[in-house]
Amino acid sequence: MKQTPSGFRPMGEEYAAYLRDESRTTGHAETISFPTTEQEIVEAVNACRESGSRLTVQGGRTGLAAAAVPFGGHILNLSRMDKVLGMGQTADGFTLTVQPGAVLSELRKKLAAKKFDVTGWSDASKDALGAFMKSGVWFFPPDPTEASATIGGMTACNASGARTHGYGPTRGYVTALRVVLPSGETLALRRGQVFAAGRHLTLTTEQGTTLELHLPTFTMPKTKNASGYYIEDNMDAIDLFIGSDGTLGVFSQMELRLLPMAPQVWGVTCFLPTVDDALTFTSLVRGMKLGEVSMEYFDGNALDILRRQKAEKTAFAALPTIPETAGAAIYVELHCQTEQEAAEKLFAVGDALEQAGGDREVTWVARTESDLDKLMFFRHAVPESVNMMIDERKKTAPSITKLGSDMAVPDDKLFDVMALYRRTLKEEDLESATWGHIGENHVHVNVLPRNEADYARGKALFVRWAEAVTEMGGAVSAEHGVGKLKASFLTVMYGQAHIDEMAALKYTLDPQGLLGAGNLFAAREGGRS
Amino acid sequence: MNCIVCIKQVPSTNEVNLDPITKTIIRDGRQSVTNPYDTFALETAVQLKERCGGTVSVLSMGIPATERLLRDAVSRGADRGLLLTDRAFAGADTLATSYTLSLGVRRLGDFDLILCGKMAIDGDTAQIGPELAAHLGIPHVTDVLAITEVGDASVTVETAWQGGVRQVKVALPALLTVQKDVNQPRMPSIAGVKRGLEAPVEVLGAEAVQADAKRIGLTGSPTQVVRTEAPQRDSTAVYIEGDASQQAHKLAELIAGLTEGARA
Repeated sequence: MKQTPSGFRPMGEEYAAYLRDESRTTGHAETISFPTTEQEIVEAVNACRESGSRLTVQGGRTGLAAAAVPFGGHILNLSRMDKVLGMGQTADGFTLTVQPGAVLSELRKKLAAKKFDVTGWSDASKDALGAFMKSGVWFFPPDPTEASATIGGMTACNASGARTHGYGPTRGYVTALRVVLPSGETLALRRGQVFAAGRHLTLTTEQGTTLELHLPTFTMPKTKNASGYYIEDNMDAIDLFIGSDGTLGVFSQMELRLLPMAPQVWGVTCFLPTVDDALTFTSLVRGMKLGEVSMEYFDGNALDILRRQKAEKTAFAALPTIPETAGAAIYVELHCQTEQEAAEKLFAVGDALEQAGGDREVTWVARTESDLDKLMFFRHAVPESVNMMIDERKKTAPSITKLGSDMAVPDDKLFDVMALYRRTLKEEDLESATWGHIGENHVHVNVLPRNEADYARGKALFVRWAEAVTEMGGAVSAEHGVGKLKASFLTVMYGQAHIDEMAALKYTLDPQGLLGAGNLFAAREGGRS
Repeated sequence: MNCIVCIKQVPSTNEVNLDPITKTIIRDGRQSVTNPYDTFALETAVQLKERCGGTVSVLSMGIPATERLLRDAVSRGADRGLLLTDRAFAGADTLATSYTLSLGVRRLGDFDLILCGKMAIDGDTAQIGPELAAHLGIPHVTDVLAITEVGDASVTVETAWQGGVRQVKVALPALLTVQKDVNQPRMPSIAGVKRGLEAPVEVLGAEAVQADAKRIGLTGSPTQVVRTEAPQRDSTAVYIEGDASQQAHKLAELIAGLTEGARA
């Protein structure tokens, strides 16, 4: 066995936080390292392979499916690889080359202020930056709720956010990727260059090794989807790695495509008397083809939680007062080229609202940064409040945790799935709050267990929902990824035979099953844990 | 209760950029917003209207693009707007600005109360409100936190006063400048946005309000800004090593260097 690299540190109390992520799952590990270069990643991967040690990759640990929680072995934490390495100019805009540990919120600040540390940048990058400085406002569209996510983590789980309704998930904005494979060899993938032939993909590493990969035979649901590998006929090789949940390779660098920011960003929160009215409103707005970039839903329970928070906690006092008649709310965001276009689309949303039973006067329109911030505070206050409630309840029932669903169905199943959620929650007598991306028929139903019995019934209910959603042609994980927590749902969705195909694909690249062990499917026996 | 609210267009962020040659604030129309203090004044006026009836008019002196902010104010509950815009108004200090605004107030007609933000976040003078009251010959109260009583001929207000709160009863018509965070300015509704776009907003130049050419713009401004500079900030960290005595010496040298730099 080779000597352990000097960067490997034994896990001690000071690294305890690295055993957890935002899913509030705690794992275990023996060592941790914080590489700063691709070469250090390669050394760490080689050392783990040679010693048979499992290897879990971490970014910002903001994931909700425990993909970054180690189940033994080594933690490869990429947070110190957070540099912007350069900028490129293309026919239709700009690209940024970043290290995987680059934090989304920091990247946004740099893009907004147009301030980059150009140490080490090539002349071509500096030229692109010069053109970028003179160009308008550019942004990186993916907007997961937790802006402390890293770009590497977002790529690994193909992260989404509110604006995914209009702009699509992270996948569409990653144009190139460098990957350190479990063999220690490296792949340089650029979108549009390497494609599968049907379901067979041939990859050549930079070291000259040819890899023949048999792609699984399943058909992905035609919905928003982050459940398992992205597989389709004649697919682009880069898409196999995006959303692979840290199981196929370690990302060491990515190139991101930027979009010009629309000059007019308008948001409107619409209130409706009932959930059914809100669903009607959703269908009406979607039918209008306004090109809205997000449609975010809050049910009556979520609104009640915010009403209580505003009344009881000073931190939430700044929340706008929710109209008494509101039994549900939907936030719609419009990105437009002119004020006139934005106004016309806003008034169309108003028409849909009145038709669905709402009132144009009872709406919140945000056209300024400060008003948009208020509406964002409102949206983010819901999950924050629910986490606070659960923390409070954990004091009397320590084993409970929040149960949040992440399933999406096709457009024509929206009413069905919402009826299913409501009926079964009532049957099981479970407290809940529901919010999320109704534009993609993708709401997060959050069961709020009052005790251990509620928690057990809630978990069982999620399995039933996974079965029903699969039958509707939906996805069991639409944005959080499968990680470790939703692996059983993936089996429900695709069946064991297709899971075995996915596992076989992984083991072609990672014969010992060391990388991201436990993500997507059960870890292979034999990997030292 | 007929109210007039004065609003000012200001840069939207705290990161104001200065033109490297002219040293003036780069005012990019798209990035501009209503002075945050004025949004509390507007909300105060709209709440008064809801409580006592009457109208709310908004008034501004500024570049033509300011019309957008007046329409935004209508979307948040005001009834009409008046924008005073003219190249002749440019370069005005607070005296010339308040004189110009007083012409706008006269144009708007009868009023009971004028509400202004305590100050603008770009100029920070807090002079416009009191000066405007002086031009109009009406009483004024600054730093208002709340309007506690509304009568036919007076209002009673609470103001921030030497660390405490002072109650003041003031005869109408009067002018009040309001503090920040005295209320939660509402967001417009979809219907409000429509009203804002369709609202009557009058745009008038110097001649139309019969301005005295000697009292407006740069000519009418006794205050002249001679020079503006962005402060140079240095956030370099210096690590001082060695034993306590060596460190103390190095520290003393550093401080001496800084004070010399400041004198130079």
